[in-house]
Amino acid sequence: MSRSKVYVSSVGFTDIADHWNKSLLDLAVEASRSALNGWSKKKPDQIIVGNMFSAVGARQEHLGAIVTAGLGLMGTPAFKVEAACSSGGSAFNVGYNLVRSGAIESALIVGVEKMRDLEPEEVSQALAMAESAEYTQFVGATFAALNGLLARYYMEQLGVTRDELSSIPVIDHANAVNAKHAQFRKAISPEVVGRSQMIADPLRLFDCAPVGDGAAAVLLANDSAVSGSKRRMAEVLGGKISTNDFSIYERDDMLDFKSTRMAFKGAMQEAGLAPGKLSLVEIHDAFSVVGALSLEAMGFSKRGHGSKDAKAGKYSPESELPINTFGGLKARGHPVGATGVYQIAEAYLQLTDQAGKNQVEGAKYAATQNIGGVDTTSAVHVFGRAA
Amino acid sequence: MEIQHWRIRDRYYRLVGSKCMQCGAEFFPPVYTCKKCGSEKIKDKEMPKTGRILAYTILHEPLPGFEAQAPFYLAIVKLENGAKILTQVVDSPEGSIKTGAKVRATIRRAMVDGDSGQIIYGYKFVVET
Repeated sequence: MSRSKVYVSSVGFTDIADHWNKSLLDLAVEASRSALNGWSKKKPDQIIVGNMFSAVGARQEHLGAIVTAGLGLMGTPAFKVEAACSSGGSAFNVGYNLVRSGAIESALIVGVEKMRDLEPEEVSQALAMAESAEYTQFVGATFAALNGLLARYYMEQLGVTRDELSSIPVIDHANAVNAKHAQFRKAISPEVVGRSQMIADPLRLFDCAPVGDGAAAVLLANDSAVSGSKRRMAEVLGGKISTNDFSIYERDDMLDFKSTRMAFKGAMQEAGLAPGKLSLVEIHDAFSVVGALSLEAMGFSKRGHGSKDAKAGKYSPESELPINTFGGLKARGHPVGATGVYQIAEAYLQLTDQAGKNQVEGAKYAATQNIGGVDTTSAVHVFGRAA
Repeated sequence: MEIQHWRIRDRYYRLVGSKCMQCGAEFFPPVYTCKKCGSEKIKDKEMPKTGRILAYTILHEPLPGFEAQAPFYLAIVKLENGAKILTQVVDSPEGSIKTGAKVRATIRRAMVDGDSGQIIYGYKFVVET
């Protein structure tokens, strides 16, 4: 028996913003309803919620059941997947493999995070829980601190300049101008990045993804779950998760994003696709340096050249390989557990010609890369147009 | 919560990490499984107290419980046995905290527990002069 193809058959998402009047559940239900709207089957075989810190952020766990009940889909199996900032991509990977295996025909994947109810230092604390309590949190280090160390090492070891490092945030902000769901829809110059407030030297405010609330949902379905449907679909061609030494200071070479390298390689192999075939990539640039090292790990740039290539225009909208076509983590926003699902929803929009002014003309294949920790977990997925 | 730190006080006070009995590699933080050879034959081992700064940052907005110390230097220090440790670098002459600087471990007040107000002590490093 040949395996059924697996599709993303619809998507839904909220704007990423300060949703003062909406709860975690409000956001998750809104995005889910939007993804389920118009689907003839109405009831997915499985619901999986991607979320990082609802226990800390909203004093709420048991998200699978509470979201499912909110949708009136009681009876449906449901649970949450947590893998820090790669919770969304990881939740999707579980659903993808369940549908691909033939065990189920459809799955609703919902990524959601409510961050803005917390004070800034509480957000730092919640995010830092993705790192060692005993050896990273114990010295007062935030996520920004670890990435500051990484950025200094990257710049000093490989001769990367401040101006070069600023280039990925600049691309993100330019791409978000026409992205309705993006948190910051304003273009910026490299000088704005380089002059912004110092957070963890050398990283400044505009090197860092913002804090926001949001939810995104995608419907995964096989051939029988979409039979007779006229909906525009993208095919999931491959997907892999990989993991690395837990913290950057435990790694032989902290400039090698091994998780991303392995996950990307595996996902592309599963897709049977050469990297040169990709029309666009949504990368996980939670910090400018993470974006640069991700591009290097996936082999698009040589070691030390991720930011330099971005500055030279290699990843701009009109280039061979546009990145972060709706603004990436820096400008679309980074509601952590939801981010991986937003990326997939954006790849879907590109491959179904629904990206509006952000459309990559003739986009045939897209990849998404979603990191938890500092490349500690990486979830990579590859998509194509549905035949 | 403070039992979490009490339990590993030897690691905080004396830098007790791990040594692989199979291949001899040493690690801090301690490991359950050797990262070099995969062996599970791991013993506690006190780390050398000196090393060099591999990378550093100045953190302006630290975690809750550390505000009184901010801004402060954080560094990844490569110890003489090759183990790498994430640590604060304190009490060092102006301009001396930089990549390649030789540093030495010391004991300092590490953090104040938010709930109990209890003071937790642990390692920090100073630049050797």
